[in-house]
Amino acid sequence: MSRRPRFAVLPLAVRDLRHELVLNLCLVLALAAVLAPLLLLMGLKNGTVETLRDRLVRDPVYREIKPRETLRLDAAWFAALQGRSDVGFLAPTILRGASIVRLGRPGSSDSELVDLIPSAAGDPLLVDNGVPVPAAGEAVLTALLAEKLGAQAGETLSLKVNRVRDGRREQAVQDLRIVGVLPVNADGTLRVYAETALTLDAEAYREGLAVPERGWDGGTATPPMAFDGVLVAGPQRLDALTAGRLTVGTGFAVQEEVDAATFTARTGLPLPEGYAVLAVRGVERPAGLEAVDAIRGKLRGVEVAVLPYVADPPVLRIGGADVAVAGFSPTAKDLRVLDLPPPPWPALADGQTFAAEARLLLPPGVAADTAATLAVRTEVSRLDVPLAVQPGAAPGAAALVPVELLARLRTAAERAVTLTPDQGLVLERGVFRGFRLYARDIDSVPALHAHLQSLGIETVAKLDVIERLRILDLGLTRMFAIIAAVGLTGAAAALVANFYASVDRKKRDLAMLRLMGLDRLDVWRFPIVQGLLLGGVASLLAVATYLALAAVINGLFPADFDLGSEICRLPPLALVLAVVAAVAMAGASSLLAAWKSSRLDPAEAIRVE
Amino acid sequence: MDRMHAAVPTIGGSGPAPAAPTTVLLHMKDLTRTREQADARFELSVPDFRVAAGEFVAVVGASGCGKSTLLDILALVLRPSGAQHFRLAGEAGWIDLADLWRRNDERALAALRRTRLGYVLQTGGLLPFLTVAENIALPARLTGQTLSRPELEAMAADIGIRQVLDKKPQYISGGQRQRAAILRALAHAPGLILADEPTAAVDQERARAIVADFRRAASERGCAVVMVTHDRDLVAPVADRAYTFTLDHPAPTVVRSVCHAGGLA
Repeated sequence: MSRRPRFAVLPLAVRDLRHELVLNLCLVLALAAVLAPLLLLMGLKNGTVETLRDRLVRDPVYREIKPRETLRLDAAWFAALQGRSDVGFLAPTILRGASIVRLGRPGSSDSELVDLIPSAAGDPLLVDNGVPVPAAGEAVLTALLAEKLGAQAGETLSLKVNRVRDGRREQAVQDLRIVGVLPVNADGTLRVYAETALTLDAEAYREGLAVPERGWDGGTATPPMAFDGVLVAGPQRLDALTAGRLTVGTGFAVQEEVDAATFTARTGLPLPEGYAVLAVRGVERPAGLEAVDAIRGKLRGVEVAVLPYVADPPVLRIGGADVAVAGFSPTAKDLRVLDLPPPPWPALADGQTFAAEARLLLPPGVAADTAATLAVRTEVSRLDVPLAVQPGAAPGAAALVPVELLARLRTAAERAVTLTPDQGLVLERGVFRGFRLYARDIDSVPALHAHLQSLGIETVAKLDVIERLRILDLGLTRMFAIIAAVGLTGAAAALVANFYASVDRKKRDLAMLRLMGLDRLDVWRFPIVQGLLLGGVASLLAVATYLALAAVINGLFPADFDLGSEICRLPPLALVLAVVAAVAMAGASSLLAAWKSSRLDPAEAIRVE
Repeated sequence: MDRMHAAVPTIGGSGPAPAAPTTVLLHMKDLTRTREQADARFELSVPDFRVAAGEFVAVVGASGCGKSTLLDILALVLRPSGAQHFRLAGEAGWIDLADLWRRNDERALAALRRTRLGYVLQTGGLLPFLTVAENIALPARLTGQTLSRPELEAMAADIGIRQVLDKKPQYISGGQRQRAAILRALAHAPGLILADEPTAAVDQERARAIVADFRRAASERGCAVVMVTHDRDLVAPVADRAYTFTLDHPAPTVVRSVCHAGGLA
């Protein structure tokens, strides 16, 4: 037996396709007309999602995670979080209100109230918007602020931090060179971005502290006094006009008459018979020493006692028992009006040593031989303040301490305060009230968000935007799959019918080939080869059509879909896969025809119909 | 392969050809083929049928006598129901065709069809998607041979179709198609050509010319021809040997056809 070419049927199948060229071109066009729109749909879907995704990926806003509420975080917490690989940028922030500063031209009194935001190397909000990160002595303005100030990059502006200390208005100034302006779509508010240290220094200065590095003077870190209100007591009720003036420009907002029991509970003192008491207080906000001085000033010449108080004093513990305690640092006038003996400490004033304030006058009948401590237990401070017991007895049932001490410990309820042996009460430094956090990329946001949640920190992130995009992608993918399934099913059915009919038409020719000695496998291959070829040509035509139309579509839309990204695009691999899938589908569609072809009886060639 | 072969005997010619010893190419002995149809039964019986190398054998009979069945069996596309001998001379002895059918060795049968047989069908059986030249060259190509263009042109000129070589079969006349089909069957020198009413579609005068050219071309290449026809006058001048059929009815629903020598007288 002589050898024969293994794939002798291949050229025959090709010649047969060429013989029915018009018919087969129509088939190719029909198939390409199904495939090309599917490629376009897939390209549009992919392009849309990628464009949206690009926008999310490029815009640092979608990587930002903001704390939902004010926190108390120390340096160690920041160090630990910074160590995570999914953290892109992290900077500590201070209390919201404390970061409000004034910014204006040097020497000019015109200035704008702006929020001072800490920044540092790698700040994505600046870097990704093409703005340099400010170094020491530099700042970046938001576009709105730059417009308002009429300032441009390269100019120098003065940043002013205001405070009231010991009743005086004070101001610290830092000149900043503007190195960039942040576009409005990155930050549409009035803000100035500067090195983190400047924010922390501004906060310290506000708290009355000196910042020697910047030449800002001030005191040590003694916690400021905070009073919940004052009680005004006298033999006569104040006239309405005088009473009304007490809530104007004093720092207190409410005035109301209270009874003797309230007076005693607040001050620990007996109220002389027939006296009227007016409480002047803030609304859920304490006021400083200057507020007390303002009330005193307005009541100069009026025969009343002015007694500042702290609403919820800490617990005084003596030998395991709790004793009621009140603050009392009266002036001579107070003592005269109330007819009381002076306590063994001076009238209310700032600037005393801690030892001078940590004193105690016990009420009659309370043992004085053991140590007494004032226990402060708040969320932010844990203090046990030892008190020096003074000889003598308090006039009422409550123990008395200088009201300055209670007012400073009132501050410890909101700010971290520690007790040091040499300095007494000191405001704790290095405690941050929030952070600016950016995840490394948008895919890291959910995990980082969850991590912070596990630490008990509620945060706000654009999780929903990222999730929405994922859902959109999933939905569009499913929609595409449905459309593709319908289209390809139709195309496959048409191909199956066509290939089958073709074999039926050519059964005499195929039987003739069998008669001439081709075996079953050869004639089985005949429609398969044709199917693969038609599928290949059709899918290449579809890809070419897709590429041409995609170019047209991308030329139509870029103006409306910003950033110049293409609304219709597919990775090359997807096109290759589409061609492979289409060829495979056409090949599979020819299987029925191939089966019929292989079942043909060679004797059919001899028969005449 | 060896067990398919046995010694090829020689026989003395018993037909009108000279009585020189001739090699037997194909031999059937006591071959039968039965076909059942509803309530009728058809039985073809071939007691002794032989084709010698290079001879032109006519099988003459009216329609329905079983000549198509015989042709299918000869063409190796129909399984005989039974046979004492059904064999083809191979290069190294007999090839036992009955045994190949018993073992249902389709590949071997297809290979024999490809290499040892040529076919001329009633309507030519040319493939419509190939040119005449490609059709003629196809069997040679399927057996791995090459047929050069000058060779092909010479053969085509010999049989009178040189000018239509590059046309598709649909564009040439019926007679030209049959001549092309004859040339295709001959081109790879298969040894045995089976022809089924090859001139049914042309007029009688042209048919005689075609058969004459067929006979000449086949003998030039040493090919034996078995030509099935109902037209005894057409083959009488060229046949070396002839077979015909005798019908009888051994039972009311049974038709038996016996194939035997003769038929030209």
